[in-house]
Amino acid sequence: MPAYCHALMGLIARTLAALLASLCFLGAARAETPRDVHIGVLAFRGAEEAERTWQSTFDHLGRALPQYRFHLVSGTAAFLTAAVAAHRLDFLITNPGHYLELKVDYSASALATEQDLEGPTPSEAVGAAVFVLDDHPEIQSLADLRNLRVAAVAPDAFGYRAALREIMERGVDPERDTKQIFVGFPVDEVMRAVRDGRADAGIIRSCALEKLLAEGAIQKDEFRVIGRRPSGALNCQVSTRLYPGWPFVKVAQAPAPLAREIAQALFGMQPGQDEKAWTQPDAYGSVQDLYRTLKVGPYAPFTRLGLADFVVEHRYIAALIGLGVIWWLTHVVRVSYLVRKRTHELQIAHEAARQRGEQMEHTVRLSLMGEMASSLAHEINQPLAAILTYARGCERRIEGGADPASLRDAVQRIAVQAERAGDIVRRMKDFVRKNPAPQVPIDPAAALHDAMALFEPTATAGGVIVESEIPDTLPAVRADRLQLEEVVINLLQNALEATSAQDDRQIILRVRGDRDRLHISVADNGPGLAAEARERLFDPFYTTKKNGLGLGLSLSRTIVEAHGGRLVVETDSAGMTSFRFYLPLIEEPARV
Amino acid sequence: MSEPTPIIYIVDDDPAVRDAVGFLVSSVGYPFEACASGAELLQRLDNARPACIVLDVRLPGVSGLEIQRELQNRNSIAGVIFITGHGDVPKAVRAMRHGAIDFLEKPFDDQVLLDRVSDALQASKTALAKQGRREKLERKLGALTEREREVLSLVIAGKTSKAIAADLDISSKTVENHRHNLMAKAGVNSVAQLISWATDISDV
Repeated sequence: MPAYCHALMGLIARTLAALLASLCFLGAARAETPRDVHIGVLAFRGAEEAERTWQSTFDHLGRALPQYRFHLVSGTAAFLTAAVAAHRLDFLITNPGHYLELKVDYSASALATEQDLEGPTPSEAVGAAVFVLDDHPEIQSLADLRNLRVAAVAPDAFGYRAALREIMERGVDPERDTKQIFVGFPVDEVMRAVRDGRADAGIIRSCALEKLLAEGAIQKDEFRVIGRRPSGALNCQVSTRLYPGWPFVKVAQAPAPLAREIAQALFGMQPGQDEKAWTQPDAYGSVQDLYRTLKVGPYAPFTRLGLADFVVEHRYIAALIGLGVIWWLTHVVRVSYLVRKRTHELQIAHEAARQRGEQMEHTVRLSLMGEMASSLAHEINQPLAAILTYARGCERRIEGGADPASLRDAVQRIAVQAERAGDIVRRMKDFVRKNPAPQVPIDPAAALHDAMALFEPTATAGGVIVESEIPDTLPAVRADRLQLEEVVINLLQNALEATSAQDDRQIILRVRGDRDRLHISVADNGPGLAAEARERLFDPFYTTKKNGLGLGLSLSRTIVEAHGGRLVVETDSAGMTSFRFYLPLIEEPARV
Repeated sequence: MSEPTPIIYIVDDDPAVRDAVGFLVSSVGYPFEACASGAELLQRLDNARPACIVLDVRLPGVSGLEIQRELQNRNSIAGVIFITGHGDVPKAVRAMRHGAIDFLEKPFDDQVLLDRVSDALQASKTALAKQGRREKLERKLGALTEREREVLSLVIAGKTSKAIAADLDISSKTVENHRHNLMAKAGVNSVAQLISWATDISDV
């Protein structure tokens, strides 16, 4: 993670913590009010233990300075830091390491250092013990911790840090060479982790083990402290150097006169049995050394109050924020997924519509082919009959001893007729082809001739000769040739049916190119269109025929428009019903 | 007098078909004429030759069946064979009822067509011969006077000259003269021959 990110997270964490702390103090009197003094207390065994430990101090202060109301605010280091940042605390009682951080970050200063009148000197009051289950004889020194599981309360616990220094000096890097397990407060958890075998060794604040023993929470020979060091006047087993006791810390915002009054009160305190007393503040140089060595706290490359700490300390809020982030990410992912999905669905719908269109077109073509089929069968039968007859004639002549050269003409005619039949079959096959072709430059004359060739047998069968005027050369258009044929045949078929009741049936196919358009029209002398029919003519499934699909004209219009043209119906000057459409010419007038 | 050569008329709007049929019939030595339409056939038809008409049912303009009717109106002696691309039963029935030789579906068997052509020509020759005879008879009949025809019908009825003279209120001698004249015009020598001749007339 880049450095600035880490710093940024620290900032975010602080801001959030400050907000949280503000909420906690809402309703309480503001710190500036002289009557209320808020003193934070670091709780490493829960709020009750913290209150019990410092009750005598609070009682004494209350007695000595009755003009103030002292409020005890207990919490973890991160919580207290946040409260300081939010200007909600005036003083704190905390461990030396935490004090060092506050000193650097918030210009806090120690007013006094705790003193156990019957115990150690104030400058050598706190350390840590590294302990294992007694029945693990193979673990004797701190160096033996390599590859073992080591439990501690938290990475920022003072005892843990003190032990860290000693372990590292034995050539073991706890981060790399051991598996660290942080069990959280209270310190009893560390003991339980070792007892339950979740960890091989535990790191605990000095005297905590002795206290647990005194409380009866552990057996006398249950645990063994390793890497022991002299503990001087401190009557506890330690594995680390000793550091000064806890300071009474003044936060920068606390007024100096108040600080002076409190300091005087603290120094004048006469503690009872097992009660804390206060003496001149230590310089905490040894703590500074420790932190410098470990490169933590103020000596960390970046702030220690990182996102990880914050998450540990405020897991519910963190979880909430985490959930928010997850929700947001999920939302983003969901939105992009939905966009992709809808786009995909749209494409599918588009594709389905296109396929339906093609399907419909194919259906119409098949229907047109069905109407023309019997006539086309007859049309194929003609060349077949001719071929057979020529061939039989040849046979007879050969049997009669004719000169083979005299048969050449007949054989050639057979070939021509076979080609003729093949052409009809090709046109039919092309016309019922399923796959659409791209619009390419085509010669409309060829397409129109093909359409006429397909349609003429049907017209002839109906006794009509279609008058067609197809110029030999026409400008090229860009089209699907098959679709163009389909439109023309469809119009011709309609004209044929429209004139079925007529005596003198007349159907005219006209083709004409002008500067930028190709005009094609099919006119018939049928009875014309009723107003309703004229209006609904191009609607899909509208039909006036007994067996019509009602798709022909709607499809023809669609096809023409897909080619950039228009299909209209009108009554021409001769009173004929004329379906007329145009296609745009290819811009560069090219001949195909 | 030599017999006129028979001829085949082929009527089809499809040039390939009429050409192919022409090719087939000419391979067995028949002369033919190809016509693109009924109108062309009617224009070219020579009623003095035994003829077979191979006629497409479906023609632009005047249809094959209409041409058949027109041929009948003109007392054509040509035998008609229909050819068609469609097996159209009602049309076939109609065609056969009006005396068509056959109704063949394309593509047809060459041997069947040639056999039918032969049949048609035979029928046409017969019809032509019959027609020739009748024309001769009719010519002779046309040469008789009014009185001679009256006498003829009574002779055929088996009446004697005397009875005829009584019927017509003329003399027996006059009846004998008429009889002599009409037998000479009919080219017969006996009453028996005269009766046979007269029966021919009613036949043809």
